Amino acid sequence: MLRELFSLALIQHTIRTATPLILAALGGLLTQQAGILNIGMEGMILLGAFFGVVGSYFLGSSLAGVGLAILVGVLIGLIFGFFVIDLKSDEFIIGIAINIFAGGLTVFLLRSIFGVKGAFSSPGIIPLPRISIPFLENISFLDTIFNNHSIFVYLSWIFVVLVYTFLYKTPQGTWLIASGEYPQALETAGISPRKMKYISSVACGVFCGMAGSHLSLGYLTLFTENMSANRGFIALAAIIFGKSNPIKTLIAALLFGFFDALGMRLQVVGVPSQFTQMVPYLATILALFIVTKRQMDKSKKGAIEINE
Amino acid sequence: MKKLMGKQRSEYFISLFLSIFASLLIGVLIMVINGKNPIVGYSALVTGSFGSTYNIATTFAKTVPLVLTGLGTAIAFRAGIFNVGGEGQLYLGGFAAAYIGITFTKLPPMIGIPLAILAGAVAGAAYGYIPAILKVKYKVDEVITTIMLNTVAALFTGYLVNHPFATTQGKMGATEIIAEQYQFSKLIKLSTLNTSIFYMAAIALIIYYLMEKTSFGYELKMTGQNSQFARYGGINDKKQMIVAMLISGGLCGMAGVFEVLGVHYRFLQNISPGYAFDGMLIALIVKNNPIGIILMSIFFGALKTGSISMENATGIPSELVLVIQSIIILFIAGEAGFKNIYKNWRLKKSSERKVGEENA
Repeated sequence: MLRELFSLALIQHTIRTATPLILAALGGLLTQQAGILNIGMEGMILLGAFFGVVGSYFLGSSLAGVGLAILVGVLIGLIFGFFVIDLKSDEFIIGIAINIFAGGLTVFLLRSIFGVKGAFSSPGIIPLPRISIPFLENISFLDTIFNNHSIFVYLSWIFVVLVYTFLYKTPQGTWLIASGEYPQALETAGISPRKMKYISSVACGVFCGMAGSHLSLGYLTLFTENMSANRGFIALAAIIFGKSNPIKTLIAALLFGFFDALGMRLQVVGVPSQFTQMVPYLATILALFIVTKRQMDKSKKGAIEINE
Repeated sequence: MKKLMGKQRSEYFISLFLSIFASLLIGVLIMVINGKNPIVGYSALVTGSFGSTYNIATTFAKTVPLVLTGLGTAIAFRAGIFNVGGEGQLYLGGFAAAYIGITFTKLPPMIGIPLAILAGAVAGAAYGYIPAILKVKYKVDEVITTIMLNTVAALFTGYLVNHPFATTQGKMGATEIIAEQYQFSKLIKLSTLNTSIFYMAAIALIIYYLMEKTSFGYELKMTGQNSQFARYGGINDKKQMIVAMLISGGLCGMAGVFEVLGVHYRFLQNISPGYAFDGMLIALIVKNNPIGIILMSIFFGALKTGSISMENATGIPSELVLVIQSIIILFIAGEAGFKNIYKNWRLKKSSERKVGEENA
């Protein structure tokens, strides 16, 4: 049974299910660094998934689908930014509002554009290209794990490196972090924190748009109501777990992806699907509990040392 | 001081009115883009929700879960703990009531019904206790945990009604029908309006009294206001938060109870089309005011009921109201910001006018 559980397919599944989490989390950690808690990622992913399908179906190319998803991401990022940054609204309420708005809008458009309820699938939806790295094909187990994935799988790893480099190796990255931590100091230095916050918000929209289009065009080509299935919140947990650091967040996202994949494998060995589907959600709670408890223990220890 | 509060209140009413108006206007826009007549659409919406006894009954039937989950969310929000887990608490509460209804079939209704309601409330409260204790003791973000627990509860009850408690009448993802004495009678023929609306009214009254007229309610408000500044930092009054969360979970659980005892007479998987999320939306729109929650629930109930007639009359999908509902909250949340922009604009305009007069 263990052999059936922990097979190469498990690793392959992990990589696959972690991808939307990695993408969304990269966006979310940028806003987090800029001092904005983005609860609205869930809705942004959902919109990306829907408009990915719309673009791919009507324009006949998966690239157009991704393009439309990104465009909608930019738009929703601007709207989120306008409310949170300029109108100074409660970011929690705006995030929730965006999630509910995305849920309502996609259900409404699903019916008014495609005339269906629940789900839309069609051979007319063009999937994202699958990629294989030629030299890995010779080594059988690497071939199974790393090849024949949707293009975003590889892109997401590149993005991790890019976001890491941007945040810690460029002046713009420093400004973005400063806009969250020391906005006044940044202002004095002549750089607008408002601009940096907007950039983070739009970037988050773009990343979530990509995450969504990966969901609807990557492996399955379809859109279903509430397809994002709380991945936006799991991504948020990954950000908290990874303390907004891209590398650590990647590890957290892979961890959550692993539990998702493990759930799927458990189904193969006969555990009822309702329980296997619970695994990633329970793992998220457990992970958050562990990370905050460790922080508390650390600060307690620190306090004792100071007292001594 | 009182005058100031009055002014704030009337300003809020204006914003609320404008927000609803603007959202309905966006609805008009969407209908026009789709080539439909918005006047036909909205008049069908109004007659569909209040046009006949049946329609009115359906509207009020829909308000029952909205009021309960709305009040539940509000009481937690007031204490500064963000219970987004009403949906999961509703599912467990509903299942608990169904369990009582199919197990204790010999109990007289005088004992059985209170027992079912109590079981649902306890199940919901217990489920709310998990994120509450994680937040208060370990500072684990309750928004994420409650959302995760929603999915877990839906899956868990889904397992129960498909395996150990599945009905023998075919595979439908439901429990057996509850015993007859548990079933609330319907008030209007064919509609789902049932006697649970009286229970809801009594519960709402108690919660209103608790929130507005007792020192407990006042302390709750204070806890919430203090902790708002330190949402991710310290927590001032742990006990208040836990109690608020227990009441919140209990109310959401009872919303599930009444869906089972009053509407379906059994527990079904996917029993709620997101009542708790609508309830949360309502609580946010009226800023946790209990009377506001009742009025806004009736409005939302009317939108939901009328949207079906709107669809029949114009062909515009009834889900349009979901879009309208969520835009209201966007405008309300942006209220203060919009006001500032408006004030600055007026200031600028009046100063421009002054400059103009001086130049003349």
